[in-house]
Amino acid sequence: MSDRIFGVVGLLLAAFYIWAALIIEESFLSDAVGPKAFPIIIACVLALASIVIALKPDPEPVWPSLGRLAEILAAAVVMFLYSMLLPEIGFIFATIFAASYLAWRLGSTFIGSVLTGVGTSVGIYVIFHLVLGLSLARGPFGF
Amino acid sequence: METLSSLADGFAIAITWQNMLLALLGCFLGTVMGALPGLGPSNGVAILIPLAFTLGLGATPSLILLTSVYYGAMYGGRISSILLNIPGDEPAMMTCLDGYPMAQKGQAGEALAISGIASFVGSFFATWGLIFLAPQLVKIALLFGPAEYFALFALAFATLGGVSSTNQAKSAFAAALGLGLAMIGVDTQTGVPRFTFGEVHLYDGLDFLVAIVGLFALSEVFIFLEHRHGNADAADKKITIGRLTPPMSMIKQCTPTMLRSTFLGFLAGVLPGAGASLGSFISYSMEKKLVDKGTFGKGDPRGVAAPEAGNNAAAGGALVPMLALGVPGSGTTAVLLAVLLSLNITPGPLLFTQNPDVVWGLIAALFIANFMLLAMNIPMVGLFTRILMVPPKVLMPVVAMVSFVGIYGISGSTFDLQVMIGFGLLGWVLRKFDVPLVPIILGTLLGNAMESNMRRAITIDDGNWGTLVDSPLALGLWAIAIIGFILPVLVGKMIKSKMRRDDESSLSD
Amino acid sequence: MTITTPRLTLAAAFLGLSALTAGAQGFTPENPECIAPANPGGGWDFTCRQVGKELQDLGLLDKTVQVVNLAGGGGGVAYAEVVNKRNDDNDLIVAASSATATRLAQGAYPGNTMDQVRWLASVGADYGVIAVAADSEIETLPQMLDIMKNDPTAISVAGGSAVGGWDHLKVLIAANAYGIEDVRTVKYIAFDGGGEAVTQLLAGSVQAFTGDISEAKGFVDSGDIKVIAVLAPERLDGEFSKFPTAKEQGVDAVGANWRGFYAPGGMSDEAYDAWVDKIATLYASDEWKATMAANGMAPLDLQGAEFQAFVAASVQQIQDISKEIGIIK
Repeated sequence: MSDRIFGVVGLLLAAFYIWAALIIEESFLSDAVGPKAFPIIIACVLALASIVIALKPDPEPVWPSLGRLAEILAAAVVMFLYSMLLPEIGFIFATIFAASYLAWRLGSTFIGSVLTGVGTSVGIYVIFHLVLGLSLARGPFGF
Repeated sequence: METLSSLADGFAIAITWQNMLLALLGCFLGTVMGALPGLGPSNGVAILIPLAFTLGLGATPSLILLTSVYYGAMYGGRISSILLNIPGDEPAMMTCLDGYPMAQKGQAGEALAISGIASFVGSFFATWGLIFLAPQLVKIALLFGPAEYFALFALAFATLGGVSSTNQAKSAFAAALGLGLAMIGVDTQTGVPRFTFGEVHLYDGLDFLVAIVGLFALSEVFIFLEHRHGNADAADKKITIGRLTPPMSMIKQCTPTMLRSTFLGFLAGVLPGAGASLGSFISYSMEKKLVDKGTFGKGDPRGVAAPEAGNNAAAGGALVPMLALGVPGSGTTAVLLAVLLSLNITPGPLLFTQNPDVVWGLIAALFIANFMLLAMNIPMVGLFTRILMVPPKVLMPVVAMVSFVGIYGISGSTFDLQVMIGFGLLGWVLRKFDVPLVPIILGTLLGNAMESNMRRAITIDDGNWGTLVDSPLALGLWAIAIIGFILPVLVGKMIKSKMRRDDESSLSD
Repeated sequence: MTITTPRLTLAAAFLGLSALTAGAQGFTPENPECIAPANPGGGWDFTCRQVGKELQDLGLLDKTVQVVNLAGGGGGVAYAEVVNKRNDDNDLIVAASSATATRLAQGAYPGNTMDQVRWLASVGADYGVIAVAADSEIETLPQMLDIMKNDPTAISVAGGSAVGGWDHLKVLIAANAYGIEDVRTVKYIAFDGGGEAVTQLLAGSVQAFTGDISEAKGFVDSGDIKVIAVLAPERLDGEFSKFPTAKEQGVDAVGANWRGFYAPGGMSDEAYDAWVDKIATLYASDEWKATMAANGMAPLDLQGAEFQAFVAASVQQIQDISKEIGIIK
């Protein structure tokens, strides 16, 4: 059943893609093919593949329980927050926060996760910023 | 031999204490950057350009440092592929397919060692190829017009099916998805924005590094989160490290594979626009077609040797068009080309005659870096495998954060990070559905070049689509593509049943 | 950064070229960055790297200029990036050329206009060339245009800009001057940069190449391609003097590709003046003159407000040409 739904979603995606290709505004002077043809060909392949997937489904995958699904979504939200916080509070603190959260959710104790967070953050800062010289996000304290 | 005496001059230029130290530094930093997800050879080299200038290095020492980083990163990419199932950079993507299963079987040490040897073989012969064949090879590159490039890319996609999934439809789906994602951004031919929906951040398209790190590294983190409870204890089972050096029989078994892959990878590298990823990809899929008896994808050492020999050979091959034509054959050579230009050296047909000291110094540096990397990598296998002892609850947060930093440190873009999280979730869903991730990356990597070449070919022939199959070379490539696509479908069942029978016998060595 | 400022002030005073700038000394870019809106190897990339390097060599900057290649959309991607994301970045300059003006004139940077950025200064001009493979039967420009006139499909012209871009426009100007009625029939193939375009000329996929002298130079020296026309008002100096101009062959077409820089629209006046000053100093140096000579660049000495006005005029002119030859309405 999952594969059938997947196939239908794929078909919808292909349809959306063709629609988005058709509204591309062509410029006044174009090459012989134009910017639309190739995307439409791709969308057709996508649609064909989706139909085959829907008609010949593989064995059902093992889906996680609702709780586990929430766990994954929560992690994604934390990562999203991380990306927003980076420019605001700086690399060190944002990374301690995100790494500690992940370590905690992966089964570390409270102390263990904070240690992981601090270790990760400082370690990366040293390697990427001090050794390799990449510019990482700077917070109010300059790191 | 004039060539050999020039090479000797090159070594005379390259071998000084300062240069050897630079090479050592470059090899080390390159290996580290190659192994870190998100930092690959191209941005590894780019990161160190300022260092080369700050140190006030001359042309030859700068090139020695930067090519050591380049080769080092090509070596390093395999480490995280094998140990974590996360490619350190895009050419190491194929190494995951057999490297990670080997590590799970307790053969991490052997996988790292055999891939190190394969990397060495690939770069070693590629460097000789660069010395003796550069002028002739340029002619091969010149055989490829737009139509031929399009056929070559089509060939890569046609042979995809058998590589990473048993379900051809899902491979095709993944490839189309990757190609579709590549179309996002301003059209390189006419300059109109496509699929951007007015979002400026999408104008320059999706960076494939963002896609690869999201799809592989972050989705791996999500999978660990999913399994923490329930069967988490099963995943926590101790992974044995096993022996650190491969048995002689394994090296013997892999030797023909390495040589074939070196050849193919080198050719792919020579073609501008194909590059190392295509080299490792074609090497793997050809090797699988040639010798696979059902063990590929389950931890066959040849499945590790092929892509590593292939991508390192391609790394050497990519220097041919860069030096001889001034046209970069890969992302990294584009950066190296930029370095040469800023050192006031213009690569092109006259480079070998006008700046022989630079060319031969560079080639000598490649040899030095290559031997250094082999000497560094084999003893360090034991050290690398320690990573497996780190429990996931510590390792995974580190992997996630390194992924973020790898992307953010280069682009400084919050938007890129968010797209990467999106790719992470997508990767998790697709893995659930058993949709292979490799074709998606291949699609995003090659999509634009494939489309541009198709459009160029057709425009040259006044809108005639038949031009795509008009030259003997293009026809040949299409024939291989069609055979590669049809054959597995037609005889798939027959081979599969044969595979099962041979399964036990080939696993025993 | 405060440590470095006095040294720079000293340098500027020493060179005695700070005439334009009262407050310029107060500003030193912390992380100087130059965006080259194309892949390495092309003209924009050359501009960024060469200027960045010589700025440092002359002591005008004490940090290496980081060159970022941001290719796509004929420079449109970089333009949008600067306008939308980096608008108040004082450390950033962006390489520009006639190609930038062309796209702006044709409205090909969607939603962007030339007054959204601050135009800094020019560093010279690069005249257009039209070249064919060394073994081609075509020897002169009229010969090629004649073939095109009879059968526009016979000759594919390769260039490094997108369709409608400056490399394309140069051929169209020549075709128009020769009397080809509908210049839109001229077959133009867009490649990712001049290097790739020349390679395909050598490969025989296309019959002609349109680009800048600096892009073609290496291959002319090696004897792989021959230049059939330089789109300059008169013959160039030095080693380039052997190439015939289009004009002397009876085709009244001139295409000068100026090279220069723009800066984000929100750059402070202080930073703007400092950058203008630095580039002006660079332009006046002997080192830069040598670089221009080595690369076939002709002089074009415009800074600050003057340059701003020049770009505005240039945009207007291209708009007029594009309308005249019928590629925009």
